Amino acid sequence: MESTESTAKNEIEIEPVTRLEGHGKVTIVLSKGKVKDVQFNVTAVRFFEKFLEGRRAEDAPIITPRICGICPQPHHLASIKAVEGAWGVTPPPAASKLRELMLLGKMIQSHTLHFYALAAPDFVVGPFADTSARNVVTIAKHLPDVVTKALELMRHGQELAGLVGGKPIHPVTAIPGGMSKPLIEKDRDDWLKKMERIMELAEFTASLGLKVVESYWDVITRIGVVETYYIGLASQGVHNFYEGTIRVMSPKGKIEADFSPKDYLDFVGEHAVPHCYVTHLYYKPAGYPDGIWRANTLARINVVDRMAMPRAQELLKDFRSKVGRPCHATFAYHWARLIELIESVERARQLLEDPQIVSQDIKVEDVQPRQGNGVGCVEAPRGTLIHNYWTDEKGIITKANLIVATNNNVGAIEKCLQHVAKQCIEEKAHEKVKFPTPMIKV
Amino acid sequence: MSVKIAICQLSSCWGCQESLLDLYEKLVPILPSLDIKYWPTVVDTKKGSLEETPKAGIDVSLVEGMCRTESDVELLELAREKSKLLIAYGTCSSYGGIPGLANMFARDELLRRKFIEAESITEGTIPTVNLPEIAPRVVKNDQIVKMDLILTGCPPTTNNVAKVVTALLQGQTPTLESKSVCDECNREKEEKIQIKEFKRNFVGKADPKKCLLSQGYLCMGPGTRAGCEAQCPSANTPCSGCYGPADGVLDHGARLMSAVSSVVDMPPEKLLESIKDVVGTFYKFTLPSALIPLSLESVKRR
Repeated sequence: MESTESTAKNEIEIEPVTRLEGHGKVTIVLSKGKVKDVQFNVTAVRFFEKFLEGRRAEDAPIITPRICGICPQPHHLASIKAVEGAWGVTPPPAASKLRELMLLGKMIQSHTLHFYALAAPDFVVGPFADTSARNVVTIAKHLPDVVTKALELMRHGQELAGLVGGKPIHPVTAIPGGMSKPLIEKDRDDWLKKMERIMELAEFTASLGLKVVESYWDVITRIGVVETYYIGLASQGVHNFYEGTIRVMSPKGKIEADFSPKDYLDFVGEHAVPHCYVTHLYYKPAGYPDGIWRANTLARINVVDRMAMPRAQELLKDFRSKVGRPCHATFAYHWARLIELIESVERARQLLEDPQIVSQDIKVEDVQPRQGNGVGCVEAPRGTLIHNYWTDEKGIITKANLIVATNNNVGAIEKCLQHVAKQCIEEKAHEKVKFPTPMIKV
Repeated sequence: MSVKIAICQLSSCWGCQESLLDLYEKLVPILPSLDIKYWPTVVDTKKGSLEETPKAGIDVSLVEGMCRTESDVELLELAREKSKLLIAYGTCSSYGGIPGLANMFARDELLRRKFIEAESITEGTIPTVNLPEIAPRVVKNDQIVKMDLILTGCPPTTNNVAKVVTALLQGQTPTLESKSVCDECNREKEEKIQIKEFKRNFVGKADPKKCLLSQGYLCMGPGTRAGCEAQCPSANTPCSGCYGPADGVLDHGARLMSAVSSVVDMPPEKLLESIKDVVGTFYKFTLPSALIPLSLESVKRR
């Protein structure tokens, strides 16, 4: 991600940070070879919290997916849960299962995209390769079979999300009281047939990833190892993207809190910083900055007692036997992502095998708007996502508060950048660790 | 021969670029013919890579998003200077998009809600250090620089993208659908619609075969540009207007309001009560390009 530009002020500015969704830059201030300050400046903000005011609450699940084009499904679902929470509506069980299936399709696509297109170039082409070559286009040129498989897996995930959500990007089918359309039996049958191939592609991805982990072991265990709190959803302590309670783990590995999403304000603090359009989130009882936490794959893998599905659980056991719990190695996020990819495929297959998934009973008829306060929470690919709406008696939003997934990580990203900047600039750590010969030489 | 391209993201969600990536395996034969000059979300190009490109040195640039900050404006102007063909890619870039709804509030109200008043804020401050300034309101991109083409949709479907890419690689000018969503929708339409009260999307269960508007659901299909293959009505939910207006329509909301007014049988007060959120319904995707592109109330409050 580097490509640096020195300025007269003895500053390194990396602008924009690349291979991610969003806008940001990194500012590193140096003095006599020492790192004085590192800022992660997120440079964009669009104010969804404010312009949701005055909207019909049922429009929020249509409006808020536009927060993120990689992860619109989690927004759609956290949003509908918030609306239903405010109005005291419970959707039929089949509707909840369809919603979870939509989310899993997205997890498969996003985790695959993240692994191959956003992360892999640093490892496969190598961190010292010319920046112009460190991208998925280079991988496509040198390893076309691998990239074709990656693209196929992403496509399956996105198509599954699109089938259930009505659209692959910015879904529309979750409406207060349930879903607007059922899954028809023919589509279910087609997808069940596809699952074998999807699992094969996911296993291929996991084994490729594990090879990368092995070859970069020294880097993973020595660079960017930062102790933080962790936050993630779990159902009775078991990994779950869609529902459950929010767990917070301390840097020492203790489950500090395990609370219902509706109580989030007792646990989630937002510290506004002067140099970033995204606030720093933290574990409120621990205070700021001590309580800075991380969300996303590694955090979820840390907070859960176990995975829900057997193959993923095997991978988690292997993970823990090698790096323990909690694991603070930032690079292990990619490894954790592979475990979750397998879990997503296994769980999607389980849902497709459930006869209720093709039920026609997907929407309660009697939905009444009312004055209320609702909190909706799901895991987005990049972390715990919370929507909180206040509605008036006509069901119009009067106030909205959003805890957006990546937002959880921004304080910790800065903390991690400070650590790595010191490691690399002051201690030259990158010259001391062992790097493998890159898979692709450019 | 390779085509020099840039893909620039102003303030937006990335969904339009995702839709391009959703070509998946179809991308493999296209990629080698592209010489990517700037595409930060996929390759490690920096702002400098674009600045160093000679004037009109890029054949085609796609611009996603709208101008929320001064650095968005800078990037848009830079893209214009460096590009032979500049395409407004998606509804935000073409009309302002959903984040344009922020024009209903004054800048100070937006900043205060997010950084001071939000319930989870423990220490509030409005950020100003090493950051681009927030524009007072969202202005449509083509009021800042000339756009050569628009490709609308939130996001444009992958099929739309494929058609445009194919046309461009063959040296042709891509065209947009000129019909309305209703023309692409397979639902059974009624000759004469007379709506006595609008239903919100959670009321009852929509008949999956009949025209949603004729059932009383507020569907924006009649005044909205086609191209999406009526995805939302096909999923049994009303169109919310994400492709914006058809050719020659100046104000999407006004067009939608006139379309809806022609099928209602209720007094104006009841119509207003039935709709509840006029701006959010009719200008959900296009407020910055409306003839009155902001809330006058918010101007008074400034």
